[in-house]
Amino acid sequence: MDTKKLTAKDFITIGIFTAIWFVVEFAFGMLGYIHPYIVAGYVVMLPLAGAIPMMLFYSKVEKFGMITIMSVLIAIIMFVTGMGFLGAPIVILAGIVADLIAKVGGYKNFKMIVISYGVFCIWICANYFPVIVTAESYKQDLIEGGFSAEYADTLFRAINYKTIAVLLIICVIFGFIGAYMGKAVVRKHFEKAGIV
Amino acid sequence: MKVRLDPRTKLYMILIVSAIVMMSATTPLLWTVRIIMTMIPILLLIAEKRYASALRFFMLYIIAIVLTFYFLSADSTGLLKALLTGYCGIVAQFLPALITAWYVVRTTKIDEFMSAMQKMHVPDGITISLAVVMRFFPTIKEEYASIRDAMKMRGIALADGNIIKMLEYRMIPLLFSCVNIGDELSAAAITRGLGGEVKRSSVVELKMSIADYLLIVGFTVATVIFVFFKYVKR
Repeated sequence: MDTKKLTAKDFITIGIFTAIWFVVEFAFGMLGYIHPYIVAGYVVMLPLAGAIPMMLFYSKVEKFGMITIMSVLIAIIMFVTGMGFLGAPIVILAGIVADLIAKVGGYKNFKMIVISYGVFCIWICANYFPVIVTAESYKQDLIEGGFSAEYADTLFRAINYKTIAVLLIICVIFGFIGAYMGKAVVRKHFEKAGIV
Repeated sequence: MKVRLDPRTKLYMILIVSAIVMMSATTPLLWTVRIIMTMIPILLLIAEKRYASALRFFMLYIIAIVLTFYFLSADSTGLLKALLTGYCGIVAQFLPALITAWYVVRTTKIDEFMSAMQKMHVPDGITISLAVVMRFFPTIKEEYASIRDAMKMRGIALADGNIIKMLEYRMIPLLFSCVNIGDELSAAAITRGLGGEVKRSSVVELKMSIADYLLIVGFTVATVIFVFFKYVKR
């Protein structure tokens, strides 16, 4: 297949990996209700856990647009599951930039893929966006929405406009680490089996 | 009674409910609007003869609402209470969106969904990918269940408490089967002419019925009431 255009097969690949990525995210997301610090800990857990399916996905990406479409889908799913539309532009932007970076490496250069995955992981921080931008009203919403004041306080101690930069950097760094880890796993299990 | 809704109405419902879910209800009136909006998808589930899930969602929602209103408050402390508060809050807050999404995913056939998206001129890429995502959640659940069974049978369900191993033992087989299913799926899709140059025709003729218009109007009115009483007239 030498066309530049995306084919039905590509779209199906995108759909499958988005579903997997989302299931992984959802499983870890549930942990966040235990303690707010875990919410902040997403920046470590999600890039690492999501790296395995994503590295497999990257090995199937050959054309521009696949990562972008994935980010659009994530934005849609985030909206439907009630996480708001404030983060959506960031999600899609992160997707496009990640796509462009991977394209520079021709979707095969591993260094570029690592950087691209790190950028892609920024979308996780988009989940925090409402916490920061609309801090006061969001806090009110949380308390009225049934969270305990203790939870809300701790959440805002962990995530505010001062810590977001740190969280963002941690997120990207763990994206890099995750990419190496994911690649190792993919090599161990999938390349040997001849699936990639 | 059989209600066949147009997929476009269902999508509209998802949109509205997700938007409402994000705005917290503060007064009894707002809660009423919200509860009514939650009951509609449950009723629709009953109309589709999915009694078990309708009942399950109904009970879950009612329990969460009752607990939130009568037993818990913002200043409840202690681990158990905080957990319970958080949990009930989440359920009361997000379950409406979940019910609606579940209803839509379970009752919309993929071909209906595709032709509805086509009618709304959504790009093919998004349509196909979304359709696959929708279809894939139940598949992942099934695959995961059989992986878990296999692990139990071999006695490695807990992998000696090694968390990384636990993750690996679950994720790798899951990815394997998902990739394989994906290949089969694309073969099937290409056979049916997906991704061709011509515009696809559809067997299902989409038509808006009275029920559709009623629901759309109803949901719009509910949203207007909600927003008005929340932001304009506090």
